[in-house]
Amino acid sequence: MSLIHYAWSFARRRALLALSAVAIALGVAVLFTVLAVLNGFLAQFEGTMRDFSGDLTVRPLPSAWGGSQEIETYFDSIHSVQGVATVEARLNWFGLVGRRGSRALSDPRSSDLNGLLLVGIDDFDWKPQDDPNALPPLRLGHAAATRMGVSPGDTLEVISFQPRPGRAPIPARLSFSVVESFSSGQHDQDLDRALVPRSSLLPLTQLKTPFTELVIRVNDGIDPESLQTSIQEQLEQDGLARPSWPSVQTWRDNAGNFLRAVENQRGMLVMMFFFIVLVAAYQLVATLTLTVTEKRRDIGVLGALGATPGRIIRFWVSLGTLVSFFGVSLGLGLGYLLTSNLKSIELILGGGEKIFLPEIYQFEEIPVLIDTYSVALLAGATLAAGLVFSLIPAWRAARRPILQAMIRR
Amino acid sequence: MNNSTTPVLDARGLEKSFCMGASQLRVLRGVDLALHSGEVCALRGTSGSGKSTLLHLLGLLDTTDVGSLHLAGLDCTKLGRTAAARQRAKQVGFVFQQFQLLPELDALQNVLMPRRLACGWSWWSRRRDEYARAKQILSKVGLSERMSHRPTQLSGGEQQRVAVARALVSKPALLLADEPTGNLDTQTGNDVLALLLGLAREQGAAVLLATHSRSLADACDREILLVDGKLEML
Ligand SMILES: Nc1ncnc2c1ncn2[C@@H]1O[C@H](COP(=O)(O)OP(=O)(O)OP(=O)(O)O)[C@@H](O)[C@H]1O
Ligand SMILES: [Mg+2]
Repeated sequence: MSLIHYAWSFARRRALLALSAVAIALGVAVLFTVLAVLNGFLAQFEGTMRDFSGDLTVRPLPSAWGGSQEIETYFDSIHSVQGVATVEARLNWFGLVGRRGSRALSDPRSSDLNGLLLVGIDDFDWKPQDDPNALPPLRLGHAAATRMGVSPGDTLEVISFQPRPGRAPIPARLSFSVVESFSSGQHDQDLDRALVPRSSLLPLTQLKTPFTELVIRVNDGIDPESLQTSIQEQLEQDGLARPSWPSVQTWRDNAGNFLRAVENQRGMLVMMFFFIVLVAAYQLVATLTLTVTEKRRDIGVLGALGATPGRIIRFWVSLGTLVSFFGVSLGLGLGYLLTSNLKSIELILGGGEKIFLPEIYQFEEIPVLIDTYSVALLAGATLAAGLVFSLIPAWRAARRPILQAMIRR
Repeated sequence: MNNSTTPVLDARGLEKSFCMGASQLRVLRGVDLALHSGEVCALRGTSGSGKSTLLHLLGLLDTTDVGSLHLAGLDCTKLGRTAAARQRAKQVGFVFQQFQLLPELDALQNVLMPRRLACGWSWWSRRRDEYARAKQILSKVGLSERMSHRPTQLSGGEQQRVAVARALVSKPALLLADEPTGNLDTQTGNDVLALLLGLAREQGAAVLLATHSRSLADACDREILLVDGKLEML
């Protein structure tokens, strides 16, 4: 568009247009920041979630449906699917603990009995045969350890139940030696989880398949969702799953409502803030209409020099687009500045206190992820809005007869 | 003058009225005019006789009520706005009494504007040549030192010289000048007029020059008078 030069000379001398650009910039900057933080938060959540719970999980088929198979059969079946990196068995078993480890358990009136999910994993260097009197080791969730006041070296007693086929389950008492506390990066996980050797739970379970879930990790660059069906189909083929019994869940399914809530929140916030951007862009209608009125004579001159109505429209639209382009560029720069200084901004806004408490949100710094797709979408949508809003004044300018525009009678 | 060739401008029976509420003001009542390329013609008439109105019709800025108009071989009687604009960009140059330069642009960019409009998308591939052409015509009107000055930084005479350069940069077949010296003192007016006529003759454009001034008209090849909505040859 060769009139862009004129549009630029024009816009340079109009403070009003600059104000419009600034309004758009502010909206874009805020939306940029909101997007970056929420995307950062989601990415961090995905990271810790997949770190702890794996990319995909498989539930064993109930024995009533012929699921009582050797664990190796499962391993072989899953490993035969392309893209699977590792499979690890877990045995999740529920227990109860008292406030100070073993001590509180002697008092049944205790009001601070807590549930503890024992996660039996094979990642322990412990064999029951070595020393029959040695207690199995236990890694306690960081938050649970703090709450119970338990530290490495303490003994932790857990009350659980042993199922008996056809009869009522009986209580069972398990003792562990706390070796360390761990931090999964997710507060609720750290609050009620303990990692123990899977073999230490086996005597309790009476299960034919001695695991409650298989944790699958996929190769780098592979989307876990893309393997969900192929693993399910492979398991069905090998008689380890049924179509009516969906065995395979992705980390997304496991993350459940929390992830959906955050994603939903992101959608809502983006919508709200984009509305602000729209309002800012809508200013262009007023600003350009004012400019069209002010430049009445020059529009007439352009017409006399041979500008077609289409070109007049294009001129005003490119003027509007120029303004929104500057707004978007300025906004993205400002947004980038904001996101890279979030720490100081958080302290300023919080009056010296952190707004996002690390205990709750599990991050020392506010996570930020600037992804090209969101940024491109934001820029594109804003430019499109600017273009649409310039059309109205542009059309008004082009419609006016040349002589009427040029000569004030 | 070679009258056997087809004229650049051929207007027949042009009529134009303006509605003033209930009454009608008949400004042109059957104007016939033919202009050949290279011909310089003065259009005189009293104030309000319709000189500007006629120039607007001939320059396709307005449409005639009755009559026919041919410009550079094209029947322009009933052109739509877009087609009229295209024909104007190609064939018509205007010089106005009020200069009508675009205030945001410097002299060079003002002269380039009709070229930008005429070239459209091909501007980008041609802009080197176009810049050279605009600079050349600006130096012909004696403004090679003032190309980067905006209209407010130029005197009236200089502004009108920019306007002359702008009107002629596209080598139009028809140059319409409406009181081009009306806002200038006599000496400056004569200088500008000499430049205008010199350049137009060099390019072989047909010129129609509306003026009150008899001395201006004397500088032209031909003179016509607009009286009671009709032309009288002198
Ligand atoms: N758009 C219009 N609406 C109403 N009347 C008009 C319009 N344009 C021109 N007129 C009238 O037509 C008549 C001729 O006007 P025009 O401007 O053509 O005169 P002119 O010969 O150029 O006069 P001057 O020498 O003063 O410039 C005038 O009476 C003017 O009032
Ligand atoms: Mg006039």
